Amino acid sequence: MRTKLDPVTLEVIRNALPAIANEMAADLQRTSYNMMIYEVRDFCTALVNLDGELISQNVGGVSHFVADLGVIITDAVKRYGRKGFKPGDVLITNHQAVAGQHLNNVVIYVPYFFKGELLAFSMVRAHWIDVGGTSTGFGAGPEVPDPWQEGLQLDQLKIHDGGRLDETLCRVIRDNIRFPESSLGDMNSQIASCKLGIRRLDELFRKYGGGTILKAIARIFDETETQCRNFVAKLTDGVYEAESFFDDDGVTPDERVRIHAAGARVAYKAITAPLAPVNEGSFRALEVIIPEGNIMMARYPAPMAGWSIFVPTVVETIISSLAQAMPDRIPAAHHGLLGGSVVFFGVHPQSRRRFVVQSIEGGGWGGRPFEDGESATVSVCQGDVRNGSIEGIEMKCPVLVKARALRRDSAGAGKFRGGLGIDMEVRNFVDGKWNFERANRRGCPAWGLWGGGPGESGGYYLRAPGESEYRMMHGSHKPVSANSEVVVRTGGGGGWGEPLERDPERVRWDVLEEFVSKDAARDLYGVALREDLSVDQAATRDLRRKLGRAA
Amino acid sequence: MLVAIDIGGTFTDLMAFDEATGRFAQAKSLTTPAQLVQGIVDCLRKSGVDLAVISELIHGSTTAINTLIERKGAKTGLIVTRGTRDVYSIGRGNRPESYNLFFRRHRPLVPRHLTREIDERMLASGEVLEPLEHASLEEACRRLADEKVEAVAVCFLHSYVNPEHERAAGEIVRRALPGAYVSLSHEILREYREFERTSTTVVNAYIGPKVGGYVRSLKASLAQIGFRGDLTIMQSNGGVMTPEVATQRPVAMMESGPVGGIIASAQTGRTLGLANVISFDMGGTTAKASLIREGEPTMAPGYYVGGYASGHPVMVPVIDVVEVGAGGGSIAWIDEIGALKVGPQSAGADPGPICYRGGGTEPTITDANLVLGRLDPEDFLGGQMVLDAKAAAQGIVGKIADPLKMSAAAAAQAIVDIAVSKMSLAVREVSVAKGYDPRDFALVASGGAGPLHVMAIARELHIPKVIVPLYPAHFSALGMLAADERHDFIRTFYADLDGADFRRLERTVEEMAAESASALASKKGTERRIHLDLRYVGQEFTLSVPVGASQIRAGDRRAIRTAFDRLYDQRYAHHSPDEPVEIVNIRLAVIGKRATMTLPRLSAKRRAQAFRKMQVHLGDSVRPVSCPVYRREELGAGARLSGPALVREHGTTTVLFKGDVCSVARTGELLISVRGAA
Repeated sequence: MRTKLDPVTLEVIRNALPAIANEMAADLQRTSYNMMIYEVRDFCTALVNLDGELISQNVGGVSHFVADLGVIITDAVKRYGRKGFKPGDVLITNHQAVAGQHLNNVVIYVPYFFKGELLAFSMVRAHWIDVGGTSTGFGAGPEVPDPWQEGLQLDQLKIHDGGRLDETLCRVIRDNIRFPESSLGDMNSQIASCKLGIRRLDELFRKYGGGTILKAIARIFDETETQCRNFVAKLTDGVYEAESFFDDDGVTPDERVRIHAAGARVAYKAITAPLAPVNEGSFRALEVIIPEGNIMMARYPAPMAGWSIFVPTVVETIISSLAQAMPDRIPAAHHGLLGGSVVFFGVHPQSRRRFVVQSIEGGGWGGRPFEDGESATVSVCQGDVRNGSIEGIEMKCPVLVKARALRRDSAGAGKFRGGLGIDMEVRNFVDGKWNFERANRRGCPAWGLWGGGPGESGGYYLRAPGESEYRMMHGSHKPVSANSEVVVRTGGGGGWGEPLERDPERVRWDVLEEFVSKDAARDLYGVALREDLSVDQAATRDLRRKLGRAA
Repeated sequence: MLVAIDIGGTFTDLMAFDEATGRFAQAKSLTTPAQLVQGIVDCLRKSGVDLAVISELIHGSTTAINTLIERKGAKTGLIVTRGTRDVYSIGRGNRPESYNLFFRRHRPLVPRHLTREIDERMLASGEVLEPLEHASLEEACRRLADEKVEAVAVCFLHSYVNPEHERAAGEIVRRALPGAYVSLSHEILREYREFERTSTTVVNAYIGPKVGGYVRSLKASLAQIGFRGDLTIMQSNGGVMTPEVATQRPVAMMESGPVGGIIASAQTGRTLGLANVISFDMGGTTAKASLIREGEPTMAPGYYVGGYASGHPVMVPVIDVVEVGAGGGSIAWIDEIGALKVGPQSAGADPGPICYRGGGTEPTITDANLVLGRLDPEDFLGGQMVLDAKAAAQGIVGKIADPLKMSAAAAAQAIVDIAVSKMSLAVREVSVAKGYDPRDFALVASGGAGPLHVMAIARELHIPKVIVPLYPAHFSALGMLAADERHDFIRTFYADLDGADFRRLERTVEEMAAESASALASKKGTERRIHLDLRYVGQEFTLSVPVGASQIRAGDRRAIRTAFDRLYDQRYAHHSPDEPVEIVNIRLAVIGKRATMTLPRLSAKRRAQAFRKMQVHLGDSVRPVSCPVYRREELGAGARLSGPALVREHGTTTVLFKGDVCSVARTGELLISVRGAA
């Protein structure tokens, strides 16, 4: 056994801890039964110590699951006591009063003992396809007034007690959810993933000894904190502000929901050390103040089905507030919506099997201080979240994906323009139900920076059979008849810098590529193109002078 | 007589093996980037091998990967199903670097205006929803012809299940663009998931014309100089293929270069009874590391050229390698804030390091080693090349030492140190980053520059044991001599295991085997390996379960099911015997086995005798130490020597530091215990 903390040992442990979380994630993903886990990666895997401090977490997946499992452990240790856990225990929870998320996000965790002493927990949070309640998929809609209608609430329960499965609890769960085979399969994957984490952690402890590992973890926290502090120290001290809003709260139309940025972990991480692994040290130097009763800190029993809708916008608002402090490191705003989600479900008329189509479509990101924004990419709160392949969707579900296409002129204009949003067109071959998200940001679309224009916002559109026009839709669980066509539209990103300063050659290329129309090239960028798409330099100069004066 | 030729960025290496006598021959010559084929011809001449007696010439080349990385491929058009023009650029919409606001997606090889949609639609069942509309296809061809594209990729939805439309479109495209190189997605990768299939097909089309031209001119030149044997090309999966297959599927030879060294490392480990080794190969342009566990190289079903976050998915089986831009030819330079950097720019073979006298003016790692006294200007490549030590020193002084106000030796030492830390990262990435402790592995050093730097890397990572194999400077070529012929095929075959039509499944396997027959050159001793990709209904990821031909013939669902449950349990520590199982893909590997090669035993000779002493800087740039120099070929089995020492051989030098202890194995490898490591 090697006991001293030499630099190589420290380095091995530094890399091995995130490797454990990543291996847990890989196994969970590979054995899960629901697309929200295996493609959308709506989960996180982590090792957490008894104080609720994050030892390591998987890379990729949902960004706002960052270091937020600790509260579950501090609560559990308080309730059960340090002596209240034994080897073979497996706990399950999704209770909103502690976890602060919608009920679909079910957390499984397993205690780790080294030489008889409880030292840590391995944990997996994953989005179950169904937890009962009024709707399936993403939980109930905004109209539901309380958590009891949102689904089954599980509050820090032992589903395995010292290695023995609690059959009663299992049956309660099985009988109160819509897709028990899928969700219980996922639960087994979560348990297996936690046990894998414990096994790997144990190998590490046995090899290097408890003292060395604990010392290394403390050291890693300190070094990570220092790294983040060094970055922040370079900024000029000051009060930085930004503001954004949602069209309404989803219940009362046209009553704007204001978001005034205070602080959040995703933004802090993205700014301080975007590529380094996450651990407790990543946030030690950050204090976040959110009064309870605020939309970002709901008071139980507020309904939580739509809990995450606001998060990307909050992150973006915080990031934007720092544009003054670090002008060369802040991009314009992105589409900012978690959604772009495609959710259609029903029962296949031939096989009588239930099906759920699920995919998350990306939108445009903001222009950057040195280049255009990326197109069709998931939000700042989603990392390695992948859309469903068209072939995979059609193989399993009775739908036809007619198009998944970038939308011309959806990006905000700028010296560096935003990325483009997309239109996903789906025809359903059978009757079923669609979940249409609300287009929340029509009044406050992805904003530009330093003179750049806003991106176009998204929405959901339906054309029933026999109709000629698409209608804008919202609301979940909406019955839709066979051969309807739905367009899921995601927004474009904001532009960075004055559009009139954009290199006319880039504008010409965008027109050739059909990212930008000829009209937009003329009206927004002041670039005149000839029939053969060559730039008319003289006309462009005139046009730009005129547009410049008008502005 | 078998001959293997491996073209690296700097050197072209040759190994020949005479099956009758068990003898090896080797040669090395500078790679001629503008004239790769000429380099091969030169190398063959230099080796003195009688061309008429060569039965097979195995070739590994970086042409395919370089064409992609340098984006020097053909002007390529893409023809797709209506509505899917942007599938290739949208990809999966993901951001693997979750917290990076400045993430980069892959940069498509085909611009949007050269991507044409046509009217046709297949369903997942293989039924035609909308027939192939010829007018829209002809219009697309006209547009691509006007744009003078040199290659066309065709990727239609669900062509993996019913390729009729793609086949018909292929004929029309070939007629309309007779000069263009055409790749149809179902011929490249017959697996569902349109983005990955499109990307793989586009990469194939993009590099096709260049690789095809290369293979053709190589064949012609070899024929001209009297070669009558078979030419085979190394693939990323560690097997070889015929030139005809390589021309159609150049995407399969992406990692053609590095795999040879990995096969050879695994073999060396097995010979010495070491199942866990890390292969470290440092050539002229890059250094590569790869992990071998339980005697087998780590394989992946595909990879992302340029990295997962922003690379191009290429879904063909490949041996896992991590590569960094540090090789003997890597250039040392000073950046805008005055920091010393090494690579990734390489002087390659042309102009090459300053000391090669090829007109190079930028100091390289090789120049630094020469200045430190680790290389002998008179004794390089067995004296075939005389190095210019004076020019190397002047280059280092002028470009590095003077601006940084240091001595020439200190500057040279700094260049080597930076290169070593960079290469250590690659070794770390295949081991530590995946949770493996490098101290549990032995490091096998190869490539012309590998043995020069391996001891410093081992020391940095506390790796206790280093192996310098036989023919380290020709190691990749040596590995190629041992490579089997191998072809991998995949077919998506989506069905419930219980309800699957096993007769259709058997027919599909036969179809795949027939396809392999046309690809297969070796007629005797072929082995078929069939795997079914299975999963529980509702899951996405599959496990590849080996199945026997007889199980398929008999439709033995129960045995297949049991094998799946067992494998699942082994892999994930749980399984669900009551859940229904479905088949997703059939995989067929057809392997033409090569006879095992036995390396000659070394005669025992315990005494190691240095043939001279040299003044060498080994870590101390002020005072050189007096260092004995041994000749590798004079070291017998059981010989022992300790550092500081240099062991010189054709094409490389092993540098031992003070305290390192080296003994020679009966099979000839240098087994080195690293000083200070556990």
